[in-house]
Amino acid sequence: MTVLTKKHMIRYNRGETRAAWICLLPSVIGLVCITYIPMIASFTLSLFNWNGLGEMKYIGLDNYIRLFTRDTKFYGSLLTTLEYACLSVIGSIIYSMIIAMLLNRKVPARGFFRAVFYLPYVLPVLAVYLGWKWLFDYNHGLFNYLIKLNGGTSVKFLDSSTMVTPSLALIAVWLSGNLIVIFLAGLQNVPRTYHEAAEIDGANAWHRFWKITIPCMTPIIFYNLLMSLVTNLQVITPALSLTQGGPGTGSYFMCYMLYTQAFKSHKYGYGSAIAVILFLIIAVFTGILFATSKGWIFYEGDEKE
Amino acid sequence: MKKLLAIVLCLALMLPVIALAEGDGRVHITYSFWGDQTEFESVQKVLDEYNQMQDKVFVEPMQIPNEQYTETLVNYAIADQLPDCGMVNENSVLFFARNGVMADVSDMYAGEELQPMDCITFKDDGTPVGYSSCNEILIMYYNKDMFDAAGEPYPSADKPYTWDEFVEVAKRLTFDEAGKHPGEDGFNPEKIVQYGAFVNNWTWQMEVWALSNGGAWFSDDGKQCLINSPEAIESIQKVADLALVEHVAPLNVIPEDNGVGVGIGSKTVAMTTDGTWRLGTDFPNLDINYGIAPLPMMKENVTLCTSGLTGVFKGKHQQEAYDFVKWYTREESNWESLVLTGIWLPKSEYFYKTEEGISKWLGNEKYPYNKDMETGKKVLVEYTMNNAKPACWYYTPNTQITTNEILFTALQSVWSGERTAEDVINEIYPDLCEAILID
Repeated sequence: MTVLTKKHMIRYNRGETRAAWICLLPSVIGLVCITYIPMIASFTLSLFNWNGLGEMKYIGLDNYIRLFTRDTKFYGSLLTTLEYACLSVIGSIIYSMIIAMLLNRKVPARGFFRAVFYLPYVLPVLAVYLGWKWLFDYNHGLFNYLIKLNGGTSVKFLDSSTMVTPSLALIAVWLSGNLIVIFLAGLQNVPRTYHEAAEIDGANAWHRFWKITIPCMTPIIFYNLLMSLVTNLQVITPALSLTQGGPGTGSYFMCYMLYTQAFKSHKYGYGSAIAVILFLIIAVFTGILFATSKGWIFYEGDEKE
Repeated sequence: MKKLLAIVLCLALMLPVIALAEGDGRVHITYSFWGDQTEFESVQKVLDEYNQMQDKVFVEPMQIPNEQYTETLVNYAIADQLPDCGMVNENSVLFFARNGVMADVSDMYAGEELQPMDCITFKDDGTPVGYSSCNEILIMYYNKDMFDAAGEPYPSADKPYTWDEFVEVAKRLTFDEAGKHPGEDGFNPEKIVQYGAFVNNWTWQMEVWALSNGGAWFSDDGKQCLINSPEAIESIQKVADLALVEHVAPLNVIPEDNGVGVGIGSKTVAMTTDGTWRLGTDFPNLDINYGIAPLPMMKENVTLCTSGLTGVFKGKHQQEAYDFVKWYTREESNWESLVLTGIWLPKSEYFYKTEEGISKWLGNEKYPYNKDMETGKKVLVEYTMNNAKPACWYYTPNTQITTNEILFTALQSVWSGERTAEDVINEIYPDLCEAILID
C-alpha cells in the first residue's frame, strides 16, 4: 500500500478543490451579486439623500437622526411590526404544534387532512389575502354576518387601527402549513421507547407531552421560532395588498414604510436607513435567540448536566 | 447521429435571433401606459393605425400596472432605459420635469387650431411643462330606479344640491331591513340595506370638497399648504360624517381607486361621486339605469379637472417620440377608441365652446350619454367650462408624497371615526409643508 505523502495529497486535493470551486461558482456569484453587494450598497445609500433621478448628496447620519427624532410614524411602525411578529410567531408555533400532534395520531384519512392543513402555504398569497379581506369586510363580510346573526354588532377587523394587526396575524397563523410539516417530522423522531417507559412508570399524557415530547422537539421548535421570527419581522405583503399600511398607521410595518419611503416618495436614502435599522433589529433578535438557546434546547446525545 | 441532431437543433434555435437582428429598417420606439384589458385594446388599435400609416417609425406598447407605474418608470430611468414616450401619472409630472427627465414640449401646440385648455396644463412655477392627454372631471352618478322607487325627483343638471339638501335626499334614499330611514325611531345602522350616497374618499378627489367649502389644499403658486384652514378641515369632516353620523354612506376606511365599484356599482348605493372616465370604463358593463348630475356644493359650485399626461422622455429617439405624441394626443387619433367610448373627454376648447365641436362627441350616437344631450351639455360641457379647477398636482410639487402618502394614511383614522379631521390635519400639517419644499 502506497503511503499517501504530502505531495500526493496536495495534487489530490488541488484537483478536487478546483472542481468544488467551479461547482460553487454560480451560487457564490449569485450570492455576492444579488445579496452582499446590494446590502453594502444599501448601507452606503443610507448615508445619502437621493430621489432616484437626481444627484446623490452625502448627508452622513442625517437620515437616522431624522428617523429617531422627527419622524412621527417611525416608533408606531416599530411597535406595530413587533406586535405582529410576536402574535404571528407565537400563534403559528402553538397552532402548528397542536395540528402536528393531531396529525401524528392514527386518524382516518390522515393523508387528506395533512394536505388540507398544508394547502394554505402553497396557495398564491395574494389570492389568500383577497379572500380573507372579504371574510373580514365590515359591511358584507362572512365573519360580521355570523356575528350579526347572533345578535352582536359588526366588528371592524381591518377598519380599526387596533384590530388590524391581530387580524393580519390570524391570517399568518392560518398560513403556517410549512411549520406543521416540520413539527410532524420532528414528532415522528421522538423515540417511542421514552413514551413507553414513561407510561410504564405511570405518567399521563400531559406529563409525557411536557417531559418527553417538548424537550425532544426543542431543536425543531428553535428552528421554527427562528425562521418564523425572521420572516414575520419582514412582513410586507398584507400591507401592500390589503391595508396599504392602514387604517392610519395600524399596519404600517417597517418593511412597508421602507417601500413607501423609497419607491413611492422617492427617498431612497431614507428607505435604506430604515432597511439598515430593520436588519439590526433582526440581528439582535437572532443573537438573543442563539445566546439563550443553550439554556433550553436539548440535543440527543448531549450529556446531562 | 445524436451529435448531428444537437447541432441542427442549436442552429434552429438561432434562426429567430437572426431574423430579429435583420430588423425592418424602422426606428422602434416604446410607448408606456397603464390601464386594464379594455384600455390595452384601445391603445393597441391606435398604435396599429400609426404604424400602418407611415413606415419610418414603429411604436411598441408597454403596459405597466397603474399601482406601480411611477416606480417602474423611475427604475427604468435609473437604468437609463426609459421608454421613449408614455403616460405619466399626474402626481409625478412635476417630479419628472424638475429632474430633467422630460423633453421640452412647450411649443407642441404652437400655432395649432386645437389648443389644450389651460386648466389641464401642468406648470412648474408658472412655466408649462406638459399637457394632459384629455380632460376628466368629477361628477355625480345616480341610480334612476332607486330614485323612482323612493318617489324622489332626479337631481337637477344645472342646479346642484346644496350639501344639506344632498344629505336630506340621501337620508330619504337610505333604509334598513325594516324600511326605516336615518333619524326615524327604530332605525338600525347595523342593518342598512340601501345607502343614499357614497362620496368617493379616494384621497386626491377629496380636494374638491375643500374648494367647494371655500377653502383649498394649496396656494395657486404651489408654495403654501392651506389645508389647515377651518373650511378645508370642515369639508373632510363632513364627508366622513356621511357614514359615521348621518348613516347614509357605507363605511370605507381604506379608500381605493374604485368609487363607482364601492358606490353605485355595488347596487346598494343610490348616488356616487367619481370621475367621468367611468362612463366608458365601468357603466357599459354595469346593468344600471343611471343619470349624471353636477357634484353637490357646500358653498361654491366647483369640480376638479385632471388627467394623466402623455409625455416625451429625453432619449435617443426623442424627435420620433415627439412627433408620435403630437399625433397621438390629437382628439382625432383617439376619437373612436377613447373619446366616443366615454373614457376620455376632449381636451381642446373647440369641443366645448362651439356647437359644431360639442355635437361631434356628445351628439354622436356612439357616445354613452348621447341619449340625453341636454343633461350631457350641462354636466359635461358647461360644468367643465365654468366650474372646473385643476387638481393640485398641476401646480404643486411632490403630490405623490402629500396626497398619496401622508394624506392617504392619515385620513384613514378620520374615515374610521377614531379621530377628528381637525386633530389629524393639524398633526400632519408640518409634514405637508415640508413635503412641498423638498427638491
